[in-house]
Amino acid sequence: MGHYTEMLKQVISYTSIYGLASLGIVIGGRTGIFNISGEGIMLASASAGFIAAYQTGNWFIGFLVGALMGGLFGLLLIYIHESLKISQFILGITLVILGTGLSDLLYKTIIGFQLFAPEAPKVPQIRIPIISEIPIISGILNQDVIVYFTYIVVFLAYYIFYHTRIGLETRAIGEDPLAADVVGINVKLRRYIATISGGALMGLAGAYLPLVVTGTYTTNISNGRGFMAIGIAIFASWRPERALLGAFIFAAIEVFSFQQQLGSSLFPYQFLLMLPFISVLVIMWLFRKRIEFPASLGKTYSRE
Amino acid sequence: MVGQEVSLKQTTKLQKIWVGSKPYILALLIAFGITGAIIGLLGYNVLKAYQTLLFTSFTSQRGIIETLKKFIPLTLTTYAFAIPFKIRFFNIGGWGQMLFGGTITAIVGIALAGFNLPAIIFIPILILVAMAAGGVFALIAGFLKAYYNINPIISTIMLNFIAIYFVNFIATTEPWKAPRTGHPMSLKLPEAARLPELFGQIHFGIVIVALVIIAVYYLINKTVLGYEIIATGINPDAASVYGIKMRRTLMLTFLIGGALGGLAGGIEVMGVHQRLIEGFALTSGAQYGIFGILTALICQGNPLGVPLSSIFISILLVGADAMQRTLQVPVELVFLSQAIIVLFIVVLRRRAGGSFIQ
Amino acid sequence: MVKENKVLEAKNVSKRFGEVQALDKVNFDLNEGEIHGLLGENGAGKTTLMNILYGLFTEDEGEIYIRGERVKINSPLDSIKLGIGMIHQSSTLVPEFTALENLILGTDGNKMSLELKDAEKEIEQFQKDFGLKFPLHTKVKDLPAGLKKKIEIIRAIYRGANILILDEPTTSLVQEEFEKLLESLKKMVAEGVTIVFITHKIKEVIQACDRASVLTGGIMQGTIDTKKATKEDLVQLMFQDAEINITESAIPIINLPDVEKTSEPILKLQNISAQSKEKDGINLDSISLKIYGGEILGIAGISGNGQKELAEVIIDPNNITKGKLILKGKKINGMSTNKVFSRKVSYIPEDRKKESIIGLGNITENVLLGHQREPRFQKKGIIKWDKVTREAKNIINEFQVKTPNEKKKAGKLSGGNIQRVVIGRALINELDLLVTHSPTAGLDMASVEFVFKRLVELRSKGTAVLYINEDLDELMQVSDRIGVIHEGKIVEIFGQDQFDKYKIGSKMIGG
Repeated sequence: MGHYTEMLKQVISYTSIYGLASLGIVIGGRTGIFNISGEGIMLASASAGFIAAYQTGNWFIGFLVGALMGGLFGLLLIYIHESLKISQFILGITLVILGTGLSDLLYKTIIGFQLFAPEAPKVPQIRIPIISEIPIISGILNQDVIVYFTYIVVFLAYYIFYHTRIGLETRAIGEDPLAADVVGINVKLRRYIATISGGALMGLAGAYLPLVVTGTYTTNISNGRGFMAIGIAIFASWRPERALLGAFIFAAIEVFSFQQQLGSSLFPYQFLLMLPFISVLVIMWLFRKRIEFPASLGKTYSRE
Repeated sequence: MVGQEVSLKQTTKLQKIWVGSKPYILALLIAFGITGAIIGLLGYNVLKAYQTLLFTSFTSQRGIIETLKKFIPLTLTTYAFAIPFKIRFFNIGGWGQMLFGGTITAIVGIALAGFNLPAIIFIPILILVAMAAGGVFALIAGFLKAYYNINPIISTIMLNFIAIYFVNFIATTEPWKAPRTGHPMSLKLPEAARLPELFGQIHFGIVIVALVIIAVYYLINKTVLGYEIIATGINPDAASVYGIKMRRTLMLTFLIGGALGGLAGGIEVMGVHQRLIEGFALTSGAQYGIFGILTALICQGNPLGVPLSSIFISILLVGADAMQRTLQVPVELVFLSQAIIVLFIVVLRRRAGGSFIQ
Repeated sequence: MVKENKVLEAKNVSKRFGEVQALDKVNFDLNEGEIHGLLGENGAGKTTLMNILYGLFTEDEGEIYIRGERVKINSPLDSIKLGIGMIHQSSTLVPEFTALENLILGTDGNKMSLELKDAEKEIEQFQKDFGLKFPLHTKVKDLPAGLKKKIEIIRAIYRGANILILDEPTTSLVQEEFEKLLESLKKMVAEGVTIVFITHKIKEVIQACDRASVLTGGIMQGTIDTKKATKEDLVQLMFQDAEINITESAIPIINLPDVEKTSEPILKLQNISAQSKEKDGINLDSISLKIYGGEILGIAGISGNGQKELAEVIIDPNNITKGKLILKGKKINGMSTNKVFSRKVSYIPEDRKKESIIGLGNITENVLLGHQREPRFQKKGIIKWDKVTREAKNIINEFQVKTPNEKKKAGKLSGGNIQRVVIGRALINELDLLVTHSPTAGLDMASVEFVFKRLVELRSKGTAVLYINEDLDELMQVSDRIGVIHEGKIVEIFGQDQFDKYKIGSKMIGG
C-alpha cells in the first residue's frame, strides 16, 4: 500500500480523537456550558481506559471505562456549576489539574513501573463486506469501530441540533437560557445531559490514544490535544459538522509534522512539533470575523 | 429593591475571621481526609506519610531551604496568573512564560559571556531580560485578545506548548547546547551571571521575590493603575464608561503577569541551575506554572493573599518529594489532593456567601 | 358585567431575597375576564409577585389557588400548563431565532422533526384574530421592541394562556401603540382571557383596568374598583401620608423657574455621524444639536434608537465618522474621555448597576471612578486616599445617602442611594455640561423627586443638561425643549409650548 494512502488512513483514524473531543465540547457549548477540561478528561480516561482494558484483556471495556470517566468529570463540572454557580472556567482548569494528577496516579499505583511497556489489547478493524476487496480504498476505509462511531455521532448531533425541535430547544438554551426557561424548557436537565455526554465523548477520545494510537499508556499522552479541541470547537462556530472538518485538518497537521520529523533533518524538528499549536492560533486569527458562538456561552445562568 | 430591610446583624472582628477561615479549614480537612484514605488504601503508613508531608519543611535546615527554593518561583508564577485574573482573564501561560523567560535569559547570558561584565551589571540586565521576555510572550496573548478577541485561555496554552519545544530546541542545538551530555541542557552561564548565595544557603532570588511582593502590594493598593485594574475587574462596563481603556488595562496586566512569570524562569536559570536545562520549571511532578494557578485559586486570585498561599503549597511540595523519596508514596497524590483542596475551597467559600468572581 | 369567579387567588405570599423582604404576606386575587392593574412604585415587589405566579421564583410561604384548586408552581412549565402566560418587561425571546421558531419553542409536537407548516397556519390565525401583526421569518434581533411585545403576547396565547400577565408593557410603546395594544387586549378578554397589567403609572391603571391592587414595599395596600376611584384614591394607597405631589403618570411635579440661557451653546453637534460601539447598535446619522447653559434639553425616543450612542459620542468622541463636535467653542473630535471630563463635563449612564458603579467596591472607591486621574486625587500615579475618603463623606452628607459610613459596599445600597452616590460623584466639580441617561429608572418616588430637584438646580446654576430618557412623561415634566431621536437621527425638536404626548410619540416611532 502506498505511502500516501497509509498516511490518509492514519489521518482518518486520528480524526476521531480530535473529532470526538471537539464534538464533546460543542454539545456542551450549545447549552451554554464551556467545558475546557478536555485535556484533564483525556488524560484520566486514557489512563483509566488503558488500565481497564489491560486488566480485563478486553478493548471494549477499555473504551467503556474511558467514556465513564469522562462522563464523571462532566457530571462533576455541571453539578458544581449549576448548584453553586461557580465559574465554568475555574472549574474547568481545576479539573484539568485533577485529571492530570489522577491519570499518573492511577497508572503508578495499579500498573506501576514495568520494564517493558504493557501492551493494550488490540482493537479490531471493521471490514465492510464489498469495500474491503477494493485495493486502495479498502486500505483507507478499514478503520476501527471508534472511527465509524465518530462519524455516526457527528451526523446524529448535526441532525438533531438543526433538524428537530429538541435541537432547537437545546440551542435556545445556549443562546438565551432565560428565554428557554420561560417557555418551559428544562434548562438544568438538558445542561446535565449535554455536559455529561460531552464529557463521555472526550473520554472516548482520550482512551483512543493508548488503545489504538500508541498501544500503551505514557505520561502526558494527550500532549495538548484536549486544548486543541477547544480551538477546533471555536473555529467550527460550535457546529458538529464543522468540528469534524476541523478535526480532520488537525489530524492531518499532526500526521504531516510527524512524517516530516522522521524524514528530513533540514528543519529543526522542534518547530514541526510546534506546528499544530501555531496552527490553532493562526486559524483562530484567520477566521476571527466569521466565528460565531452561542450567546450565553460560559455565562452563569440564574433565575434571580 | 425597596422592600423592607430585615435585621442587620452586627458581627465582631473575631467572628468575621472565624467565618472567613472556616471554608479553608474545612477544605483542608476534607482534602487531607480523602488523601489520607487513599494513602491508607494503597497500603502506606498514613501517619508517617502525613508527618513527612507536613513537617519536612520545618524539621531541618535543608527542609527550610528547599521550601524557600520552591517558594521563589511559585510565588512569581502565582502572580502571573493572579494579576490578569484580577480583570477576569485567565493567563494559563505562566508555564510558558517561565520557560521562555528562562530560555532567553540563558541565550543572552551565554551571548554576553565574552564581555566580562561584572555581576553588579550582568545580573540586573539578565533580570530585566527575563522579565521582558516573559512579558512579551504573555503580551502576544493579551494583544490577540485585545485586538482580535481571541480567547486568552487558548492562546496562552498554545504558547505554553510552543515554549516547551523552544526550550528543547535551544538546549539541544549549537551554539547553546552543552557538549557531551545525555539530558538536554545548555552551556553553563558565566560566573557573573549566576545569582549569589546568601548565608551560603539560599540564592539571591529570595530577595528579588520579597521586593516583588512589596511592589505588587503597592501597585494594587496605592496606584492609579492598580485602581483601574481593580475597577475593570469588578465592572468592566463602568470602568470603560469612565475612561479606563479596557485594551490598555488588559495588555498591561498580561505584560506584568508575564514579566513575573518570565522572572521566575530567569531566577531558576540564574540561581538554581546556572544553565538552561530541560525540566527546570518542573517540580514534584508538575510545572511551576500549573502550581501557580492552583495557588492563585486557593487565595481566590487575590494578589495580597499570594505569599501565604504560596508558602502553604511550597510546604506541601517539599513534603510530597520527601514522601515519595522515603516512603515511595507517589508524588501525584499530593498534586491530586491540592486540586481537591482548590475545589473545596472554591465550593465552600461560595456556600458561605463569598463572592467568587464569575 | 364581570362574573365574580375567582380565577386565581394568592394567599399570604411572602418572599425574601437575602436581607430584603420583597413580599410580606401578600393577598391577591383575579376575577375571570377582568383587566386587573397591579400598581406600585419601582421596587415595590410587583414583578416578584408575578414571577412567583409564573414559576420563575418560589414563594417562601403562601398558597396559590387556580379556579379554587390549590396548586404548586415550581417552574414555568407548571404555570403554562395551568394557563398562565407572562410577558416580561424586557424581551424573553431568543434573539437569534425567528418569530416562528420562538413561538413554537417548547410546545408539544413531534420533537424529532422541525416541520412547522401547521403551526404557522395556526399562528397566522391568531395574528388575525387579535390584530397583532409581525413578520414570522425574520430573526427577532432585527425587529423593533414594539413588535417583540406582540410576538410575546401571541406566544402566550398560542400556548393556551387564559391568564395573561403583562409587566410594564408600555416601557417600549408610545401612546398610539399603547392604545392599539389595549384594543387587542380587550379582544382577548372577550374570548375569556383574564389580564394582569403591572405598571407604576396611575394614568394607565385608570385608563385600562377594571380593578387595581396597590403594592408598596412588599405589602399589599388594598384593591379598588377603578371605575369608581379617582387618581387621588390611588395616590393615597400608593404613598399613604408621604408628602409627594405627583401627576397622573406618577411623576413628581416640578416647577421650572425662569432661567436665562447662555447666548452661546455649551455643546454643538454639527452633522455628527458616528459608529456605534455596541454589537447591535444604531449608528448616528448627521445629527445637529445645540445645548445651551441654563436649559434642560430632553431627548425622547424608543430604547435602541441611538440614545446610548448619542451620550457616548459626547463622552468618548472617538467613533465620529463625519461632522464636528464642539464644546464651548472648541472642536473635540477624537478627544479622550478623561480629557472631556476635565473640560467640566460629567456623565450619568443609563444602567446603574452595570455602567455606573463597581458593586464590590465601597463608596469611597466608587467616588474615585471617573476622577482617578485628577490632580486633586493623585500625584504621579499614587492615589491620595485620604482626599477621596473626605470627598466620599461630603457626598454622603450633602446628598443624603442612607448608609452607616463610606466603607459600605456600593452594591449593597438600594437603587435610590446608589443613584445619589452617582449623582454626587458627577457633581464633585463645577460643571458646564451634564449628560444623563434615564437617571430615574427603577427609583422610588422620593429618589425620583430628588433627582429632578438636582437637575433643576444645575440648570439654575447655568449648566447645560442633556437629559436622555425613554419615559416621555418624565421628559415633559422637566425639559425646556425635547428632541426626538429615531434610528440615529434627530427628527424634530419640540419647544415647551409644543409638548404633546401624541405628536411627540408619533415622531418617536417614525411618524
